[in-house]
Amino acid sequence: MNPSLLLLEFMTGLASASSLFLLAAGLSLIFGALGIVNFAHGSFYMLGAYLLFWMTRGDAGSFWHYLLLAVAASVVIGAAVERIFLRPILRRPEHFQILLTYALLLVIADVCRLAFGSDYKSISMPPGFGGPVFFLGAPFPAYYAGLVGLAAVAGVLLWLFLHRTRYGLLVRAVTQDREMLEALGINVPALFTIVFALGIGLAGFGGAVSLPLQSMSTDVAVDAVISAFIVVVVGGLGSIWGALAGAFLIGEVQAFGALLLPEFSIVFVYLLMALVLLFRPWGLLGRAPAVRT
Amino acid sequence: MKVLPFAVLLLLLVLPWLLPAYGVQVAIQALVLAGFAVSFNFLFRNAGLLSFGHAAFFGAGAYTAALLMSKWGWNYLATLPVVLAVTALVALVIGFLSVRLTKIYFTMLTLAFAQMLWAVVHRWYNFTGGDNGITNVRPAGLLGTAHGLYYLSLACLVFVTLLLRVVVRSPAGYTLRAVRDNPVRVAAIGVSTFEYVLAAFVLSGTFSGLFGFLQLAWQRSVFPDLLYWTTSAQVIIAVILGGSGSTKWDYGPIAGAAVLVSAQAAVQSRTQYWPLALGLVLLVLVLFFPAGVVGLFSRAERRRAQEEELDRAAA
Repeated sequence: MNPSLLLLEFMTGLASASSLFLLAAGLSLIFGALGIVNFAHGSFYMLGAYLLFWMTRGDAGSFWHYLLLAVAASVVIGAAVERIFLRPILRRPEHFQILLTYALLLVIADVCRLAFGSDYKSISMPPGFGGPVFFLGAPFPAYYAGLVGLAAVAGVLLWLFLHRTRYGLLVRAVTQDREMLEALGINVPALFTIVFALGIGLAGFGGAVSLPLQSMSTDVAVDAVISAFIVVVVGGLGSIWGALAGAFLIGEVQAFGALLLPEFSIVFVYLLMALVLLFRPWGLLGRAPAVRT
Repeated sequence: MKVLPFAVLLLLLVLPWLLPAYGVQVAIQALVLAGFAVSFNFLFRNAGLLSFGHAAFFGAGAYTAALLMSKWGWNYLATLPVVLAVTALVALVIGFLSVRLTKIYFTMLTLAFAQMLWAVVHRWYNFTGGDNGITNVRPAGLLGTAHGLYYLSLACLVFVTLLLRVVVRSPAGYTLRAVRDNPVRVAAIGVSTFEYVLAAFVLSGTFSGLFGFLQLAWQRSVFPDLLYWTTSAQVIIAVILGGSGSTKWDYGPIAGAAVLVSAQAAVQSRTQYWPLALGLVLLVLVLFFPAGVVGLFSRAERRRAQEEELDRAAA
């Protein structure tokens, strides 16, 4: 097989991995800290894209600065949702949490339908990223490369936040022992709000930067949240590195699966998820529970 | 003897003669979802396992019947034994691989398997018709009529509810709940916990397939949607809306399904924003009424839900 074709496929996989990473990192962060499986995560991804579309009015010329604004709006919405809806149910059985986030999924989808209509929304490539770039002589859409860069920047910033700031330290601590943190006088509920807002901001960012590649409709949410689950389960629930590894694997499996068996590439993805769950239920990079749960 | 279940059953027996044609259609849908919910809740309540993959069995039941009818010209009722065998087999395979996990890992693994089945059905155009589905399959004779299908669905619901009730109250049912509450201790007295949970999983899955088979007769077509994760979410909503209920009696899921389906019919005839309405109701219910619809009327249910919450807070 032609090596430049393989490279192209690899880069395509990397581009979809980038968007998957942004989507899944927040989900993983939220599960790690709050212990909540957020079924509405894909909805915030979708909401980020809709916000960007609404702000730019479909004109890609002002893409970049509205992108920042859309992410900021996602963060604010995330903080509000955590305060109003999640805080009262954090100690309730998990099926209530699933039901609540599923209710949010339904509400957000219909609110978007009311506000933006049910037609497909898309936007052209932002300025400077319309043409191709060349890898070993093979043309490759510049925006794919830009997307990989953006995800890398977001990943590095996230790492710096988690490992080089006091709040990041607290976030990592709360995923391990909430009671101890409370005993030390840390305001854990406020920390949860920060984590949730950050996760939703990442999802909104992922959705917004995907808008030039994927036309948005209100159906995107249910598909996006499943992709995020797959990534997080493969990589390890609650682990950021896991989200990165999971996104990379899933992106590449999808890209090369499409090369081998175009019709069934999506089946490979679920197969990978099932295999990981069977042999390492806590995910590739997740931490095994001390007592098997 | 309690009077209420018999009064409800009597009402259900005469209901199709009181309702307009559209009402009977809604009632059939409610019976089918109720049966699916009872089957799902058997596992959820007694084994403590939240499956997010029951769409696989529901859809497998519908697709097995639809394929046999459309490809090989089988009679609708004749497909039933095959439907039960196929869904039992699907449940055995998925269950064998899944029930060794618990909690969120079990939920995610069942989700993965159901999505895998969905993906295959969705993409395998030559065999399943892909997202065009299989259309124009209708049962011949009496079962092709609304009243015939209504009574068949009612009979299946009553049969499954009573049978599962017997299982729940049998020694096996007690063992299952013991495994749920303390697997280590049950294993220590020499019980094979895996086998009990697997058997419950297969029973729950097979009956879900039975109601998938009825769903096919109701909608006279199948689409991959039946296997998508939102179908699994639908049955979970019905169960939690009604209240998962005490271990003794499964009326919560039935009430939940009835409320869900009739509310959907009522709202959809007025507005296209049914998901919004459902979402708002669920938000209110989850935030303020943890014991579900049944809990609105039953003090015992409310107390049980409260105790459950206290147990969790203490754990």
